[in-house]
Amino acid sequence: MDPHGHLDGMLLAIAADGPVHGYAAAQALAQRSGGVFDLPEGTIYPALHRLERAGLLQSGWSTASGRRRRVYKLTARGKRAVDRARGDWRRFSAAVESVMA
Amino acid sequence: MSAFLERLDHELTSRGVRRSLRRRIELEYADHLACDSESETRLGDPGDLAKTFAAELAADDARRVARNAFIALALAALALVIGQLTIGAAGGYPGYNSGLSTALAVPTILTILIAPQIALVAGSLAAWRALRTRGSRRLPDAEVALIRRRSAIATGAGLATCAAMVLYATDHTQQMAGWWVALQIGLAAVAALALTAAALQARYSRHTVGAVPGPSGGIVDDVPALGLVAAHPRAACVVAAISAAAAGTMLGGLAERSLIEGLERGVFEGLVVGVCLAVALRLSTGLAARGRAPQS
Repeated sequence: MDPHGHLDGMLLAIAADGPVHGYAAAQALAQRSGGVFDLPEGTIYPALHRLERAGLLQSGWSTASGRRRRVYKLTARGKRAVDRARGDWRRFSAAVESVMA
Repeated sequence: MSAFLERLDHELTSRGVRRSLRRRIELEYADHLACDSESETRLGDPGDLAKTFAAELAADDARRVARNAFIALALAALALVIGQLTIGAAGGYPGYNSGLSTALAVPTILTILIAPQIALVAGSLAAWRALRTRGSRRLPDAEVALIRRRSAIATGAGLATCAAMVLYATDHTQQMAGWWVALQIGLAAVAALALTAAALQARYSRHTVGAVPGPSGGIVDDVPALGLVAAHPRAACVVAAISAAAAGTMLGGLAERSLIEGLERGVFEGLVVGVCLAVALRLSTGLAARGRAPQS
């Protein structure tokens, strides 16, 4: 399944649970979706950069095992965007469910 | 360095992604690979990833440059308007040949009359295209180049206006009140700083290439009403000239507190607008006839 159209919203939802780095976001995406999404892990990084340029995420360096790691966290604007995306998705999925059922 | 990171570096470099950002991207992927060395095969093609980074960055940068250029131009416009509105209180418009040097006054006055109009049109078109495309993650390279070119023309014309404002004030230090000369030079300097910052930002981001195919679209895509202008070029030039002459007469008359002075300025303004529009339409027609869509 190709989740590209919803990748930004899902990444924001993952970041809503707390600061996250790229690999952790990829893992969370794979685990929460049960491995359903057929998404190259590398595509997460352009999406994270895009969300940061849009002001929905902010990032900073931290250190992990001697390596530099970029950690992303949600901004206030990002929190509002997550709420909006969740609402939109619930309405959309409920509508599809009622049609498909 | 892994083969993935080496290839990613090569692809990002070839697409003109600036060094500091390239370094950050590579560190993020290096951290990913360090977390799970098996993940290299799951990351995707470095070429595709670099293309995504570059295409989205080029589009965002072009839009940001257009927005900042427009803000800087608004500042320059404000400086110009304040200078013109206060000129009456500072002694009124001096004659064309009453400054220190007529050879300096004539090109300076022409620049003050023409350059702001070029800046307004180019800056507005750049900002409007940036606004119209704000929902698109990627833009064709031709469209990115168009936004950059319009922004560059606008900032260049804005800087020429600021330089002319300073030269005009300097040329008339004997005739005009000292406070007006200082105000004019100060306002022009502030506006020029903002314009220079916008120009430097444009220069800094100009190398990024997304390699996204597609047309740039022309001015009629931005302002569909201009289709009418292209269809009736002579009538459009006359209407634009009369409108500019009327506005110039009114504003010039108010600033100068003299209908005759206002008329002089209005007629000149109308002629400049009419001739410039005629030349622009002629150039557009020439480009279209040679099989190229007008780019701006």
